[in-house]
Amino acid sequence: MASEIPNNLKYTKDHEWALIENDVVTVGITDFAQSQLGDVVFVELPEVGTELNRGDSFGVVESIKSVSDLYSPVSGEVIEKNDDLEASPENCNSTPYESWMVKIKLSNNDGMDELMSAEDYSPLCEE
Amino acid sequence: MSELQKTGLHGEHTTLKAKMAPFAGFDMPLQYSSVKEEIIAVRESAGVFDVSHMGEFFVEGEDAIKFVDFMLTNDFAGADIGKAVYSPLCRENGTIIDDLIAYKLEDKKVLICVNAANIEKDYSWLEKHVHRFNCSLSNRSHEYELLALQGPKSEAILKECGVFPQGEFPYYSAKEFDTPLGQIILARTGYTGEDGFEIFGGLKTIQTLWNKFMELEVTPCGLASRDVLRLEVAYPLYGHELSDDWTPLDAALAWTVKKDKESFMGKETLEDYKPKYRLIKLSLDKGIPREGFEVLNEQEETIGRITSGTMSVTLGKGIGLALVEKAKFPKDKVFKIKVRKNIMDAQFHAKAFVTGGHK
Repeated sequence: MASEIPNNLKYTKDHEWALIENDVVTVGITDFAQSQLGDVVFVELPEVGTELNRGDSFGVVESIKSVSDLYSPVSGEVIEKNDDLEASPENCNSTPYESWMVKIKLSNNDGMDELMSAEDYSPLCEE
Repeated sequence: MSELQKTGLHGEHTTLKAKMAPFAGFDMPLQYSSVKEEIIAVRESAGVFDVSHMGEFFVEGEDAIKFVDFMLTNDFAGADIGKAVYSPLCRENGTIIDDLIAYKLEDKKVLICVNAANIEKDYSWLEKHVHRFNCSLSNRSHEYELLALQGPKSEAILKECGVFPQGEFPYYSAKEFDTPLGQIILARTGYTGEDGFEIFGGLKTIQTLWNKFMELEVTPCGLASRDVLRLEVAYPLYGHELSDDWTPLDAALAWTVKKDKESFMGKETLEDYKPKYRLIKLSLDKGIPREGFEVLNEQEETIGRITSGTMSVTLGKGIGLALVEKAKFPKDKVFKIKVRKNIMDAQFHAKAFVTGGHK
């Protein structure tokens, strides 16, 4: 089954999506990522106020049998985290593009150029 | 790295689009549908696992029972014919080579089923000692496929397939007999805590049986759900709770070490052995214990580590087994687990997390 890859988002090679709105970047995991993980049962997110550099691990997403790090695609401060995912981690499976994890306020443009378009990301989702 | 071995049912797994992964040198199904659905199927209905990667040894001859009883720490001599016995296999110094099930098929014929990763290690250990007994030892792992049909509906399914023996066949029974599908060895054993069976047979027989199970809509289950199911009932897994570096008495297996047996491998050491570790069961309300996480006491001193951990689908929370230093076991039973950067309060469980329905 082909993964859903919305055109309005940007993507990373770690199978995260990013929604860019001015200097705030919202980050989640893609449809392909959730299908590879299987049933998501736990999500650990950073506290609001955490400063992240591009490439930092900012949390984990766990399936029954596996633990995967979440990596920050950009540099900045966590200004919001999605607490709903703590109670309902399974939303990562059912609605990956609504199940955002953190909102990061950019401190610089590190990593922004490396975010991929839907078209460029799509070949990475072929099994 | 050498090429992965395949079980006889490999083609069936690829047809079902199972997610495959290397395990003990075999390309094995990790999951088919979802791990969660597979676990629920086994707890509530029935699921089938291809565990043909496991090893099958036969001990035959006059001293077959005597030899197996000597090599195992548990009481095999005392078991009736047609019964299975779970036991560690130990060295003279009491450390664990493997854990296994020995099936007393006849008074001169014993089947031993061992972990796939330990086939060669176990065989060479047994071979080293068999010459002192009047019996033969053979490794017939390549001749046998093995299915584990597990769950409350297992008996009804076997009956429907025409492979259930006449008469009583209680928990831990074992029997070799002819069926319309060919000869099989059937045992009422498993690794899930549920009622269920393990079925040893040749490729054609087992393939036919697998296909019949699929027609009856038995859920195919992979190694991922198998691991969660065994953890929920707190069964140990070699390489995690059991290892070459400690004894069964360190890993909650005192019940499998029958010190009053006249003689057995490791008896001299195990008789006076003071365990270094204690295997305990912990759960978390938030977060999931994972292998290697540190276990702490109330003062937050490290006293052990998690040996296996998972999300329990049945309980809906994180569970884990942990080896803690016996000398540091806290009397107040207050335990914490270091989950990455955070120290979380854990609950101590005296009993298994889930009570399986095995008979």
